Parts: sequence; structure tokens; C-alpha cells
Amino acid sequence: MIVFGRRVRMEQRLTTPSSLLVVVPVLSVLFALVVGGVFLALTGHPPIGTYLDLLDNGYTSFYGITDTLGLATPLVCTGLSAAFAFRMNLYSIGQEGQMYLGMIGGTWAGIVLADALPTAIAVPVVLCCGALSGAAWVALPALLRARLGTSEIVSTLLLNYVALNLVNYFIFGSTGFFRDPTTSFPQGRTVSENARLSPLSFFTDKVTNTYPTFVIAVVLAVSLFWLMKVSNYGYETTVYADSPNTARYAGMNSTWLQSSVLLISGALAGVGGAMYVVGPAGKVDPGLLQIGLGYAGIVVAALARYNFVAVILAAVLFAGLRTGGNALQASSDPVPIAIAVVLQGAVLLFALGGELFRRNKVTIVRVKQAVA
Amino acid sequence: MNSNIWLLTFADAISIATTLILASLGAILTERSGVINLGVEGMLLMGAVTGFVVADSSGNLWLALLVSVLVGVVLSAVHAALTIGLRANQIVSGLAMVIFGTGLSQFIGKPVEGLPRPVIIRPLNFGALSDIPILGPVVFGHDLFTYLTWLLAAGLSFYLHRTRPGLLLRATGDAPATVDAQGGSVARIRWMHVIAGGALMSFAGAWYMFARAAAWSQAATTNGIGWIALALVVFASWRPLRAIGGAVLFGFTLQVPFTLQAEQISILPPTIVAMFPYLVTLAVLVALSTPRARRLLGAPKLLGQPFVRDER
Repeated sequence: MIVFGRRVRMEQRLTTPSSLLVVVPVLSVLFALVVGGVFLALTGHPPIGTYLDLLDNGYTSFYGITDTLGLATPLVCTGLSAAFAFRMNLYSIGQEGQMYLGMIGGTWAGIVLADALPTAIAVPVVLCCGALSGAAWVALPALLRARLGTSEIVSTLLLNYVALNLVNYFIFGSTGFFRDPTTSFPQGRTVSENARLSPLSFFTDKVTNTYPTFVIAVVLAVSLFWLMKVSNYGYETTVYADSPNTARYAGMNSTWLQSSVLLISGALAGVGGAMYVVGPAGKVDPGLLQIGLGYAGIVVAALARYNFVAVILAAVLFAGLRTGGNALQASSDPVPIAIAVVLQGAVLLFALGGELFRRNKVTIVRVKQAVA
Repeated sequence: MNSNIWLLTFADAISIATTLILASLGAILTERSGVINLGVEGMLLMGAVTGFVVADSSGNLWLALLVSVLVGVVLSAVHAALTIGLRANQIVSGLAMVIFGTGLSQFIGKPVEGLPRPVIIRPLNFGALSDIPILGPVVFGHDLFTYLTWLLAAGLSFYLHRTRPGLLLRATGDAPATVDAQGGSVARIRWMHVIAGGALMSFAGAWYMFARAAAWSQAATTNGIGWIALALVVFASWRPLRAIGGAVLFGFTLQVPFTLQAEQISILPPTIVAMFPYLVTLAVLVALSTPRARRLLGAPKLLGQPFVRDER
């Protein structure tokens, strides 16, 4: 490509300078803030003041950061779910639906099983049931992918809408098992107290919105990172992701690898939904449908470049945009919460563009004479 | 239950199919060049909301449609720049467009949320023709753009299969290296069709806003139609004319829940009926994935892969 007598030359890097690993994400966020600032200014909100508010309400104040960590908890899980599938070039975008199913499965366990169990067992049981439900929701796309080669992109996405209507059915459309029988107001039946955790107080006497599940999510991310580094399974998926042909020649079972990765990815998103039950919700809560944590998980994963530990940081960054955005919406000069979503999308777009500079050495050279 | 209501449902399905056809034609053009744009849903929303806002302040339908087409051009140019110029992952870039488009449309649409449509696209008046039983509502009950959309599908079919640029386009999706060796510019062909496709998607959103939606109501305005349009591309096996039939089928499943509700037929709860369009789409996808169907499909062979000359 020759522009104005200059040619852009790209050379693939063999190793990425470590400075770029920091510079590219930071610049992505800065550029996104500039884009968001343009829209803020156009709609008559002072950009810098709005961002300082966002910073305060999302990250630096006590309630800001604790709200953010609480919101980041399921987001870490959906982010891990997306990262786990995407790094294998399996583009499952069903995290949203799998998370709803995790919420439903977790609530079922919390109502039926938890009464007879002590909290130390009940909570893991609820989380496991959530994981199983999430995995079950992706089983059909995984099977179709394995047997017929049906693209998992569209099939997982379509099931999100089915799951959304399923939650609506349980709460608004029927008076069945998941509906609170004590009131005619449509809300979910609360799980047993044994299946609930109380929020962390961070050595103060304040009540926060961060639950111990955040710690579980972090442990999950770190152990996943470690397991995929040291285990045979982690090695096989890495080989398969880089070169499916090599994996096949080496005798790896590609059908099994693809299906199992999709199922684990579903389970991770399901755990996120169950954490919502153990933590703030305690029931099937349609409020979760409003936040779009599943789709945000994909953005988080992409921003973290499918690195499980970086997912934690990206999730906290994104959750902070959201909680900060909520506070802005409620302030005296209300800024629509959608600015947070705009920023999320913009961060991802710039991070994607930045990938090129991370992977290639880009130089611009003057073309002397075009040689055919 | 009268049979007339089902006839009207069918007529409605043909009408609602216009959005699906336009959006999937856009996606077909894009994907034929070898680029996949998953951002359809975001494009629809952006087209709908910018059209609404412009119409709200100017009262001019044509200006509104023009602006939303331009918005589609800009958004798809971003996708093209990322995926063709910067060789970013097409899937992730498309998803980013959905998220960015959803957020931005909600941000822009906040002040006009819930307002009635400032202008409305109405069905054409065919006089006595509209009163013919059955044919009247089904064939003569639509607006100008619905008929133009059918013509466009036919025109694009001709373009793809009977013209030289169409041949080059198909070759770009199937064997970009060949196009390159033959002296064509893969990047230019991809840029042009990604942008043309984006313009169509965005226009589809604007049409939906002015012809079908009651008011701007955030993300609920399109309710996943963009994703259904993407599934429709597979259903139509990347052929423009086949998109019409599929769009009517999907339009019908989208319309049935409303009919059942209006007729107060409550065999199933509405939340369950609302799952149908997605389940039907999924069932169709599965049917199309069987090895036999697959051979007949003819998806662009190198869909989703960036073209880099020296890495061929």
C-alpha cells in the first residue's frame, strides 16, 4: 500500500518488547477516553469533570471501589469463560445465557439442597450446580460443533435470547418453583441462608457490596492460569490453538478438545451466575438481565488478550466504568449510563487496532521508484 | 379464531422481512468479500437512533435516511480499517461494534426515549388493488422501500453472478491470492463491500424505526434482529434472492407471538412463545449444517481470514 509516495512496511516481531505490553493497553484506554470525551462535549457535559467524577465514584472512593469489586466478581467469571474459548479460536458468545442458567441452577441448589448443609459445603455446592448448568447450556452448541460443524458463534448467541426468556418465564410468566410464593409481586424465591455469604467489610464497620466470591473468582483465575501452564491439557489446547493440523498429526483428539473447551467455558460463565446468587441476589433476579455482564466478559477477555490473570484487571477496570457511570446517571447533571458502554466498546476497538503494533514492527519508508 | 388474522400475520411478516432482507444483503456483500461483520445489531441500532434524532429535529424523512446511511458507512469503515488495514480479529472487532453501537445508540437516544416517531413510512396507496382478497394485503400492502428492497435483492443477485465486478468479489472471498496475482486489489474490493454492506445494515435499522417500531426504546428497539439477519445469511447460502424467502419465514416467527397475544390465544405463556424465533433460527442452522446441505451451501472459502500478500 503506497500513500503519498510513502510505503507502510510491516515486519512480524518474533518477540514483543515488554514496554509495548503496557503501552498499548494504556494508550487504548486513553484514546477511548478521548472519543468518549468528544461525545460528552457534544452533548453538553464537561468531559474532564465527568471523568474525574467517574474516577471518584468508580475507583478511588471507598464505596466506589467496593461496589466495583462486587460487580467485577461475575465479570471475572464471564471474562475467563470468553478467554478460555477464544484462545482456542472457539468464538462462543453465549456467556450471557450461560450466566443466567448458572443463576437458575445455583438458585435451585440453594433452595433444595442448602437447607441441610453447613455454609462451608452449601456455598461450593451452589457454585458447582451453577457451573454444571452453564456447561449444560453450552452442551448443545458444543455437540453441534463436534458432530455437524455448526458455527458456535450464532448458535451460542441465539441461546442467549432463549435463556433470557427462560428467566422472564420463571419470574414473570409463571408461579412455579423459582417464584416467591409469599407475595403476588413477581420476584424470585430466596435461597436458604446457609447458601449465602455476608459481604466483606474490609476492617471497617461499613456494609459493602463486595462479597467473598470476589476472592474465589481471583483464585479461580490464578489457578486456571497456572493449570493451563503446567497441565498436559493446557499444552494440548495451546498446540491446537496455534495449529490444528499439528495437533491432529500429534494424535490429539480435536473433537474432544473443542467440546471440552466449550463446556469448561460454559461452566466458568455459569459459576459467575451462581456467585450472583451466593452474593448479592440470593434468588433468580431479573436485575442481572439488565447489566449485560456476559457480553462485557467478551470485551474483558479481548482486552486482557485472553490472559487469565489480566482478565482480573480488565474486569475491575470495566466494572469501575459501570459503577462510576451509575453514579453519574444519578447525579445532579445526569450523564446517561450508556457512556460507560461507549467507553467499553471504544477501549476494545483501540486495543484491537493496537494489536497490530504489538505484533508487527511498523515503519514508514519513502518509495523512491516503484519497481514492478 | 378466524383465518384472516393469519393472512394479516403473513402480510406483516413480509413487511418486517424488509429489515431482515436489507441487513442480510449487507452481510452477504460483506461476507462475499471474505470479511465477516458480526456488528449488524450495533449497525441497526445506530441507523435507527440517528435516523430518529435527525427526523425529530428536521422533520425530514429523506435527510434522516441519508444520515443513517452515512453513519453506517462510518461505522463499517472503522470495522474495515481494523480488520483489513490493521488485520485485527474480525470476530472480536464485530463484537466490539455491537457493544460500541449499542452503547452509543443508547447515549444518543436518551433524550428522545419514548417519544413517538416524528415521521412514519406508510404503505403505498394502490387504490382498489389493496382490496383484492388475499393478494391485496400480501402483495399491495407495503411501502415503497419494501418493493425497492426486493428489486435490490434481484439487482445484487445479478451483480454477484452476472457481472465482472461481481465475479471479482466472489473470487476475493474464495481465493484472494488469485485476485491479487491477477492484478486486482483485494484490500480495495474488501473496503468497498464492507462499507456498502454497512450502509445497507444501517439503512435497515432506519427503515425499521420509521416503518415498524412504535418509539425509540433503547436496545429493545431491534431485539436481536441483527443476529437473526446473520443466521439468515447462512440460510440464504450467501445468495441475495434466497434471503427473501428466509426473511419471510423468520419474519413470520417474529410476528406470531404478537398475533397470539392479540387473539388472546394462550396455549403457551408469552415468554415461552418469545423464544420461538431464536429456536426456529437455531433449528434451521442445524439443518443446514448436515454434510449434505453443506455441500450445496457455498460459503466464501476464506471467510474471516485477513489477506497478507507475503504470508500467503
